Amino acid sequence: MTISAAERTALREAVRDLLRDACTEQDVRRVMNSGDGFDRGLWRQLAELGVVGMLIDPGYGGSGLGSLELEAVTEETGAALLPSPFISSGVLAASLIQAAGPPEDQKRLLPGIASGESIATVALTGKRGTWAPDGVDVTAGADGTLTGGARYVTFGQAADVILVAARTADGIGVFEVAPDAPGFTRTAESVFDPTVRLSAFAFDRTPARRLGTAGWGAVQAALDLAVLALAGEQAGGARRILDITVEYLKTRIQFGRPIGSFQALKHFAADLLLEVESATSAAQHAAAEHAAAEHAAAEHAAAEHATAEHAAAAGLPGAAAGAVALAGFTCAEAFETTALYAIQMHGGIGFTWEHPAHLFLRRARSGAQLFGGSRAHRERYLVSKGA
Amino acid sequence: MTGIPAPEELRAEVKAWLAQHWTKLPHEPAGDQHARPARAAWLGKVLAAGYAVPTWPTAWHGRGYPNELADAIEHEFAAAGAPGARQDKYSIPANTVLKFGTETLKRDIIQDVLTGQATTCLFYSEPGAGSDLAGVRTTAVRDGDHWVVNGQKVWTSSAATADYALLIARTDWDVPKHRGLSYFVVPMHQPGIEVRPLVQITGESHFNEVFITDAVVPGEYLVGAEGDGWRVLQTALAYERSIMGDGARASRHHTLADDLIGLAREHGRLDDPVLRYHLAKVLALRELNALNNARAKAAAEQGTSSSIMSLGKLAMANILHAEAGLRTEIAGPETLLAGAENPEADDINFLTLNAFFTSIGGGTNQIQRNIIGERVLGLPKEPEIDRNIPFRQVRRS
Repeated sequence: MTISAAERTALREAVRDLLRDACTEQDVRRVMNSGDGFDRGLWRQLAELGVVGMLIDPGYGGSGLGSLELEAVTEETGAALLPSPFISSGVLAASLIQAAGPPEDQKRLLPGIASGESIATVALTGKRGTWAPDGVDVTAGADGTLTGGARYVTFGQAADVILVAARTADGIGVFEVAPDAPGFTRTAESVFDPTVRLSAFAFDRTPARRLGTAGWGAVQAALDLAVLALAGEQAGGARRILDITVEYLKTRIQFGRPIGSFQALKHFAADLLLEVESATSAAQHAAAEHAAAEHAAAEHAAAEHATAEHAAAAGLPGAAAGAVALAGFTCAEAFETTALYAIQMHGGIGFTWEHPAHLFLRRARSGAQLFGGSRAHRERYLVSKGA
Repeated sequence: MTGIPAPEELRAEVKAWLAQHWTKLPHEPAGDQHARPARAAWLGKVLAAGYAVPTWPTAWHGRGYPNELADAIEHEFAAAGAPGARQDKYSIPANTVLKFGTETLKRDIIQDVLTGQATTCLFYSEPGAGSDLAGVRTTAVRDGDHWVVNGQKVWTSSAATADYALLIARTDWDVPKHRGLSYFVVPMHQPGIEVRPLVQITGESHFNEVFITDAVVPGEYLVGAEGDGWRVLQTALAYERSIMGDGARASRHHTLADDLIGLAREHGRLDDPVLRYHLAKVLALRELNALNNARAKAAAEQGTSSSIMSLGKLAMANILHAEAGLRTEIAGPETLLAGAENPEADDINFLTLNAFFTSIGGGTNQIQRNIIGERVLGLPKEPEIDRNIPFRQVRRS
């Protein structure tokens, strides 16, 4: 479903207002030191606002929105450094279930995810962290049990719906594992970015159910949305830390004048503005291309009576894949560059734990690795251009 | 003032007029306006029909139209491929003179400029006043009913054929630098003006340096008030900025398709992971710039302002330098060579040098970053130690 630009702006502003009150820097610091790593009260509010289930079909309790709305919302969540399982549960897992089917599993799992009562995660990669088929270190046995391990599982400790990509005789399959299944253990990882929690999963002949016949095509479709969401967060995060830095340049006085009057710093700021605007353009363009591709696929599916699963397996057309990949690496790099320079431009105060600049850098660095990383996005971008 | 027609009515009128009058112009040598009679005749017709400057008053060849309506005329001319319409949007000299010039000056030059019979060049930059344009030292001194000008100008394009120059010169050395400037239109065809081609690092020569010795300017050719030249110049520069292209010109031999991927493939470098990294970077820079421009355009259409416009020149300079570096990396030792017998290397070397055209010309990247920092991000200016002292006392190189 697509809504008007005005409605999209209203949604974005509602999210911004909520986060301005409920996700201040103090809140982020409180939550990042908590056991869960996210604020359950705020999570409920985000669910009530329709954010958590925004991508989920209205028939399953969601808002049925698309990539354009996702991008707009994530610019705000990224700016606020919102620590939450939204991308993990509401984007990656929800869209994987929607792409993988089957309907009975969708009916069983999606309403809880949409309402925020369930938190889902997807274990997609092993130690190598490629978020590609070659990185999967879990194998499904002939008896349907899973054995192996997964790393970098986003908000894995909090999850009660657990999806796992595993090798099968016919390629990668998507499985569901009960949180209390025998042979399944999860361990919280020590993380560099305390606003995005990660877990290591281990499976030892763990009973599992395969979701339909979905393969890596469905996973890739879900990853595309997760990358898009990350790109939006990165564009928003980069803009916020630049704003904070520019404000500091105007108010910090040394040598009798605001340090922003020094060209050494002013020129960094100008270059960073170009980074921020380019990241915003890239994220919004990716969302537009993705939305157009989804729209075309839906029309095609309706005409052909094909299932969502088939559409997902077909993958994004080249232009949309290229646009998502472009956003994937350029937004990550823009955010990291902006956050790195922000610390330098703040000088001593930027090197302190109490200043938020390092929180932005931590978030930039986690986003630059998750769901594929810049190297993979760069390659996919080149391939989309025929290189 | 004539009545204001509906846009579709106007479009039909222009379409019919073009159908009746427009035929493709014969080939005439570019460069010397005096040797292009067919073009001049056509521009005269456009002017007489009221299409050259439709937003101007009727007393000055216009129709008093609002911009949106005038754009309809431009659209029809563009569709027909006919030149000459909408110079109220594009002509720096005509607009500046209309706005600030004396009646005599307007009568003397506006019609000739709009019909292409007179061309102009800009006497702005000097060897000692580049980024700091308000520091010009070319001096105009009043002598009875005229002015006498002495000094040196640089980076002047088309000076060899121009009929007039738009000059910013110092008329008072005893006030702070911005306040002692005046703006003039200078007749070029006189002995006091010597034009010499300036050779660029590429070996080409698109600009001149101009030596001005006791050149004479009629009193009525002062544009705006004496001492008000900086304000007039700002208006003229605003017209210039609104029409400036991206500054990137084509390569010399046109051997280089835009296709960087093709170039890498030809050189067997497409599998090199380091090269692929740089290739993705350059392709992304290009695409991001196009996306930024599209977003700025969309914002402008919705009437919201965007900070992106002011970033474009900086972005383009980055792209041109990065792209030249990538091409050099792909071609490798071939770039040791030059000349027509090595067209690919020659092009790459040309692009490497010519990237500075964009990162220096029209304001260096450093000045551009100051502008972005100050006008877009609102950062404070550097203290200007020359601002409030008489220009005579300002330190110079």
